[in-house]
Amino acid sequence: MKPAAFDYVAPRTVAEAVDALGTGGRRAQVLAGGQSLILEMRLERIRPDLVVDINRIPALDELRVRDGTLRVGALVRHRAFESAHAVPGPLGALFARAVGNIAHPPIRARGTMVGSVAWAHPASEWCAIAVALDADVEMAGPRGARNLAAGDFFQGPLKTAGQPGELITSVRYPLLGDDTGVGFVEHRRTHFCFAQVAAAAALTARGGVISEARIGLVNCADRPLRAHAAEAALTGVEIGPPLDGYRLPENHPFARAGRIAAERDAAPVAEPYADLEYRGHAIAVVVARTLCQAASDQRSRARALEGESR
Amino acid sequence: MKITLTVNGEEFPLDVEPRRVLADVLREDCRLTGTHLGCEHGVCGACGVLVDGEAVRSCLILAVQCDGSSVRTVEGLAGPDGEPSALQRAFSAEHALQCGFCTPGFLMVATGALEADPTLGDDPDRIEDLVRSNLCRCTGYEPIRRAITRAAQEARQLAP
Amino acid sequence: MHQWGRREDQRLTMGKGRFVADIEVPGCLDAVFVRSKTGHGTLRSVDCAPARAVPGVVGAWAAADLMDMPACAHSASVLQDLPPVPHSVLARLSSDEAVAGREWPALVKERVRYAGEAVAVVVGEDRYLAEDGAAEVTFEVEPLPAMVRPSDAARDSFPLFDGLSNVALTGEAGQPIDDSVWRDAAAVVEGRYRQSLLLPTPMECRAILVAPDADRLTVWAGHQAPHRLRRELAASLGWPEDRVRVVVPDTGGAFGSKSATFPEYVVVAYLAVKLRRPVRWIEDRLESMMVATRGRGQDQRVRLAADADGRLLAYELTIEADVGAYPHLGVGLPMQTAWMATGPYATPKVHATVRSVLTNTMVTYPYRGAGRPEAAIALERSMDTMARRLSMDPAELRRRNLIPPESFPYETPTGRRYDSGNYAGALELALRTVDYDGWRAEQARRGKDPGAMPLGIGLSCYVERSGGEPGGLFEFGGLEAGEDGSITARCGAASSGQGHETVFPALVARTLGVAQWRVRLIEGDTGEQPEGLGSFASRTAQVVGALLWHACQLLIDEARRRAARMWGVPVERVEWSDGTVRDAHDRSAVLDLSHLVKATGPLKVDDRFETGMAFPFGTHVAVAEVDPELGTVHLLRLVAVDDCGVVLDPEIVHGQAFGSCVQGIGQALYEGIPYGDDGVPLLGNGLLDYLLPTFSEVPPIEVRHTRTPSPGSPLGAKGAGESGCIGTPAAVVNAVIDALQVADPDLLQMPLTPDVVWRAARAPKRGEPR
Repeated sequence: MKPAAFDYVAPRTVAEAVDALGTGGRRAQVLAGGQSLILEMRLERIRPDLVVDINRIPALDELRVRDGTLRVGALVRHRAFESAHAVPGPLGALFARAVGNIAHPPIRARGTMVGSVAWAHPASEWCAIAVALDADVEMAGPRGARNLAAGDFFQGPLKTAGQPGELITSVRYPLLGDDTGVGFVEHRRTHFCFAQVAAAAALTARGGVISEARIGLVNCADRPLRAHAAEAALTGVEIGPPLDGYRLPENHPFARAGRIAAERDAAPVAEPYADLEYRGHAIAVVVARTLCQAASDQRSRARALEGESR
Repeated sequence: MKITLTVNGEEFPLDVEPRRVLADVLREDCRLTGTHLGCEHGVCGACGVLVDGEAVRSCLILAVQCDGSSVRTVEGLAGPDGEPSALQRAFSAEHALQCGFCTPGFLMVATGALEADPTLGDDPDRIEDLVRSNLCRCTGYEPIRRAITRAAQEARQLAP
Repeated sequence: MHQWGRREDQRLTMGKGRFVADIEVPGCLDAVFVRSKTGHGTLRSVDCAPARAVPGVVGAWAAADLMDMPACAHSASVLQDLPPVPHSVLARLSSDEAVAGREWPALVKERVRYAGEAVAVVVGEDRYLAEDGAAEVTFEVEPLPAMVRPSDAARDSFPLFDGLSNVALTGEAGQPIDDSVWRDAAAVVEGRYRQSLLLPTPMECRAILVAPDADRLTVWAGHQAPHRLRRELAASLGWPEDRVRVVVPDTGGAFGSKSATFPEYVVVAYLAVKLRRPVRWIEDRLESMMVATRGRGQDQRVRLAADADGRLLAYELTIEADVGAYPHLGVGLPMQTAWMATGPYATPKVHATVRSVLTNTMVTYPYRGAGRPEAAIALERSMDTMARRLSMDPAELRRRNLIPPESFPYETPTGRRYDSGNYAGALELALRTVDYDGWRAEQARRGKDPGAMPLGIGLSCYVERSGGEPGGLFEFGGLEAGEDGSITARCGAASSGQGHETVFPALVARTLGVAQWRVRLIEGDTGEQPEGLGSFASRTAQVVGALLWHACQLLIDEARRRAARMWGVPVERVEWSDGTVRDAHDRSAVLDLSHLVKATGPLKVDDRFETGMAFPFGTHVAVAEVDPELGTVHLLRLVAVDDCGVVLDPEIVHGQAFGSCVQGIGQALYEGIPYGDDGVPLLGNGLLDYLLPTFSEVPPIEVRHTRTPSPGSPLGAKGAGESGCIGTPAAVVNAVIDALQVADPDLLQMPLTPDVVWRAARAPKRGEPR
């Protein structure tokens, strides 16, 4: 399980990093947090000739909000999002709900959000959130910088539209308004494993009626997905009162949306302990529960807004 | 590649291959074998050390990444006179170890958290999050939770 | 000086433990094995030449390059957890016959029989370089159909060994039960249970370092039975035993999985001799998950009959065991399940049959509990099914059938002689501790509230066996008193986390009446202790403890004899107390042990001591909440009442019992090995795929003890530490079945993963049409 030999450089600027990554025909890998890369090397699934360590590029360490957009630099660690206040508004709350599901403190101290996006694991929490919120993936490469919508970036398990020689410098998210409630629910077998299914949701409501729904699906396909069909079914639906018990009535709009997500949006892959039938069912349940959580968050935010306006 | 690690306050000028992970360099090059390798893929946490004060999996970090960094291992926990730290004492008192193989990792992750925030003892959830960070096959974890809580409460009493 | 909870803690918490991988031997080479990625196939070719060209590689060999490499020592004919299966149990086969013609080669010769079996070994200056070499070895395996279920392999469509059946052993315990018993019984229930293969997963994988020195070998290994390793390695090499010394340094857990001479150990010893250089093999986690021994692995069918009052009439257990690719110790291990099939109940007729089947999985071997969990789980699941059939409270059904305290010693229909017990006492304490009635009321409340998740309560009463089998219930060791007042205890045991260095000196000190600090323990070293058996089968407190107690008596006797001789008085006049001899008639004649040694010369006693088998028992109760929509099981509470006789060190026993419960939860809910069609375990993400319980999965657990001394040992101690693996799984499974009230409990096979539980939750309930 020891990594095979590779060359190593630690550039000081993005330009140097791009130069290094572009050095002629070699399998190069970017090392940021390394919690996925070195894992993959240990598991003998990645064998780079060159590792480009970007940890010494200070410019990439930036977490910044400007003009309603959050920019997360390539070196911002998972841990930065543990506090719901690290990022303004409901987006910060969504990140905080999601990040607790990522491994555990020592991994979160090293691993990065952008690194998760670059790894593109189907069970990645961040990737599904990026897709759900139409995040922009910013890349630097030999032919300059380019942006790609997250929805176009992920192309399969551990496969992205990133080209050899390209480095993701940051991911940009639109901030969420205070009329948006968020939810994140993850279902997994123990604390130490990938999600069997998880979902992220952001529900925007005016006057108690959903005007926009965004749902990101984790491990519901070979890549992160946005549940467009389920989202469409939620527009115009009332947020409604809180529900008793763990089980939604079958005809509840969230239960229906969950089923739509499972049947029309998801393309589940069978795994040990999660065949297609089970996974399909779990997607419906997890999405419905995520929507309940987001609705509850939306209600309390709406109440807080009302309180302020009074 | 030539690097310098400061391990437990001692400088180690080293010449290492880039692929060598920190755990192997600590164990083989620095001959500090208290850091254990239990899974080598970042799950079990037996290899936990502090790099610049932060608990990390030393099996998932290259030694060259730590060039110029300060590393603390289980060998660096005792006081200047060799007295065990509060956490080490608490682990023993609470029977938080049986075979002892995972112990260095738990000690380091807890030490990092306690030193970063001496009020940790006020927050049982955060202590539980630390215990959730690593694997132990002997104790069933509860004694480890008690030990960290005990040391954290001791630290709380000493903190201003 | 700080007062440590255990002596071991000083070094283990300070980073000064010494595990095999920590030992620095100059010039030591690292061995790495090239492993088959196919579960079953014919090895067509191996090319090690490219590896030999890799810088830092010292050598690379396939079996063909090392034709005189000895085969893997099998222990069926020597003493272990399970001694040779008695011939009376066997119709035609003996263990030796089970092994005959089915040699386990240390490196694959012609046929790969399990995924990960080693086809070549590469030795390098360090592990990185050796792995570089291993990556260059090429080989070709022509696949054959892989069989990972015993039912598939037992058909013998593809014999693993040409001309021999895949059924390596059959056996039985008890007498066949007449059909009329089943016909005439008021209630008969049946069940089919799968006891999945498990990975013992000590946190330290296997490790061995072999250093040659002239015509001798020193072997360091994390191991449970150093003398056995010495004997088997010496035999493999064709050397006399006295040229091999085995030292067990700190060992990072074993749970039964570190008592054999593994193929890799044979190879490493052989190469150390061949190269005249120290060689070590430090197994990494991925190879451990592929090729370390497995535990459990049984497919069971049961029938249980009772009268209308719930008195058990008969129990029948049929075991088809997956013993892996080679007939090692695991072949006879299922007999342990058969012998323990009776459990804690006074069932008049019990019959168990075993068929041990070779498959394309890595070898099955003892894992904490070793045959007893399989017995307890089958019986206790069936008891709950019977309780439901009779509409009787499961606690009441058990109460009516537990063997009463006055019946001991109790001869079971499956050939065991239970030494002592108060089974009902443990049951009642467990029910009280968990607040059984309170949880039943909560369960009823939830039953009426559609918004509440269902809740279930599961019981499991168990009896197990500790110490080993007849013929293996002894140990060697002794005491030596020094002129400086020190007392050194030696024994053939080896600790892998059980705190022997703390427990045994305390026992010796207590028995002799001296201060603990004066006593130290040396074990796990064949150079210090010439003979020994080791630590397995929960035997160490029971057997080794008794041995050291006995050695104390010998030492006291010898001290009194010497004092009597010195003082010229009859020995009866010399008394022993608090580490001194004194003349009962002359108050001035008092001599401390150290002065006695100074005056009379070295005082050393050694012996072999034997105890009876012991039968620890207890009751575990689990309370589980089930989310039927996702199939998630949330344990709310676990109570474990264990009785391991007289406890030598309560804190250590408590700690082991607690940890053992968590392993039991692991078996019930999380741990399992899925296989691909090619017979390869689907564990590519390592411990992210094989899920050990983490702290998140540990419910509030309360461990309590009752105390029924064993009459078979002078200390009254029975074995401890396996109770959770034996008692907990069925309690958890029964709780889930109780929560879901499924009509067909066989739908719930361990591990109870969410998909399994969800399917069962959707299936018809009791009383519903199927």
